[in-house]
Amino acid sequence: MKRWVWTESYTAWAFMAPGLALIAVFVFWPIIYGIPLSFTDYSVISETHYVGFDNFVTAFHDKNFLISLWNSLLYVIIVPIIQIISIMMAILVNGKIPGVKIFRTAYYIPVVTSMVAVALIWSWLLSNNGVVNFFLLKLGLINDQVAWLSTSSTALFVLMFITMWKGLGYYMMLYLAGLQGIPSDLYEAARVDGASRWRVIWSITIPLLRPHILFCTLISLMGAIRVFDEVYILTKGGPGTSTLTSSVYIFQKGLEQFNFGYASALGLIVSILVGVLSVLVFRFNQKGGVNPY
Amino acid sequence: MSATLRPKKSIAGIRLAVVYVLLLALALFMMGPFLWLLSVSLMPGKNVFSNPPAILPTFIDFDNYVKVWQFMNFPKYIYNTVVITALGVIFNVILAALTAYPLATFRFKGRNLVFTLLIATMVIPSSTAMIVHYLTIQWLHLTGSFLGVVLPSAVSVFNIFLMRQTFLGIPSDVRDSGKMDGASEFRIWLQLVLPLVKPAIAVISLLEMMAFWNNFLWPIVVLDDPQKYPLAAALTFLNGQFSYNFGWIAAGTMISVIPIITVFLFTQRYYMEGIAGAVKG
Repeated sequence: MKRWVWTESYTAWAFMAPGLALIAVFVFWPIIYGIPLSFTDYSVISETHYVGFDNFVTAFHDKNFLISLWNSLLYVIIVPIIQIISIMMAILVNGKIPGVKIFRTAYYIPVVTSMVAVALIWSWLLSNNGVVNFFLLKLGLINDQVAWLSTSSTALFVLMFITMWKGLGYYMMLYLAGLQGIPSDLYEAARVDGASRWRVIWSITIPLLRPHILFCTLISLMGAIRVFDEVYILTKGGPGTSTLTSSVYIFQKGLEQFNFGYASALGLIVSILVGVLSVLVFRFNQKGGVNPY
Repeated sequence: MSATLRPKKSIAGIRLAVVYVLLLALALFMMGPFLWLLSVSLMPGKNVFSNPPAILPTFIDFDNYVKVWQFMNFPKYIYNTVVITALGVIFNVILAALTAYPLATFRFKGRNLVFTLLIATMVIPSSTAMIVHYLTIQWLHLTGSFLGVVLPSAVSVFNIFLMRQTFLGIPSDVRDSGKMDGASEFRIWLQLVLPLVKPAIAVISLLEMMAFWNNFLWPIVVLDDPQKYPLAAALTFLNGQFSYNFGWIAAGTMISVIPIITVFLFTQRYYMEGIAGAVKG
């Protein structure tokens, strides 16, 4: 019997060895190695020295880094907006009406497409002589063409809009899964009691979606703070530093200027920040922050 | 629902009409940009910034597609993308299935520890990972190779988690019967268990196919030669070089997007079930 248990454990490790080895190298190692790296001035050009907390001191005096942190925090505005819109979308496509599946698919297409393609399309649509300005002018919503992506005051919000537009379908799908798990007799009971449509949504749907709301909030929160692709492709942080988000700044320091030590320190700071924010979201949810009861 | 609404049939009709209007407006919002790109790609020589902007094609012509295809060496980029995507999918499916199997069915010391450690990594954010990945790939002498592109995301904790959930649902009789027949653990896994988890394999394949197909940044970082770029990375290149030739860029972008959308359309049922299942799990 003892021998059999040993064999089973031996086989288990043999099965897991390739996967765990790769995870060790590409998941655990970056977490472990990033920490000592952030206390050095490691770069490809010169010798490496231990520099203590220098990188961290520099970081908090680095105006661009502080701006990038602020921009990343500002980006978080989209998180609640995404939840509200995608929950409404999910409720809309949850009905059993003919053709609704085609709409679900249509809303999901932006999720499947590459950010490179999405960014290109929106950069054209939003340019000076683009379609968006054309329609907004026609509707009289703006008086002059707006260079949405090259104006400091609008660029970050435009990027937020694109991030949101691309992600809505994904969150809609997750909420839809949640909606379909809600037993229909709860709705029947509410209807018998004469509850209004909004009342039903507010008192039954939203509370029962809570696990999904928590999950989606966390995912979109991390996504918002880590946002990279759309910013990198469309504005590279510009104009000026108006769209410089922390990921883009870390990428510039690390993989464009090869300042690995400093970039690692910045990464560590952002990681801690994300960790703290995630814990706060968890707490908020546990304490009933979104609990409408 | 219908029982309570039957007396007020007209109100139900109006309500349904409102729902359809909302659905259509939303569809225009989500799909409009793609349809417009398609339209631009079919209008040769048109400037997207002309006033008023060209929105609907007055005639349909595939000239842009022909020209950009001849110019861009698309077969090469498609080949690169397919190789990278195939490698990525194969690695992910095999490694997730191998790693998750003992975690779901075997009893061994350290099982819970391994599982907890894996789950913990899903919570930890990893902004610096790319820098360390670059150093690792360099150390392994894999810069410039497709393997270097694929390896950092060859196995994901998320996939292992998804696979484990599926394996947990398989009755232990399957493994026992295999043992009775004297099959090795590996043969049981390969020939008895894997065929039972085809839906999970499909989901992982689709998720990873989309991720690898659309990935542009890491390939640019790892690959030294633009000739080795996958489509998404090559497009950023084309965009920079020919920013004035809108029709070409639009056609090139359509070419890169069509395969993945097609795959999605044909497999969306599994895909969406898998996405939904991942949250419930």
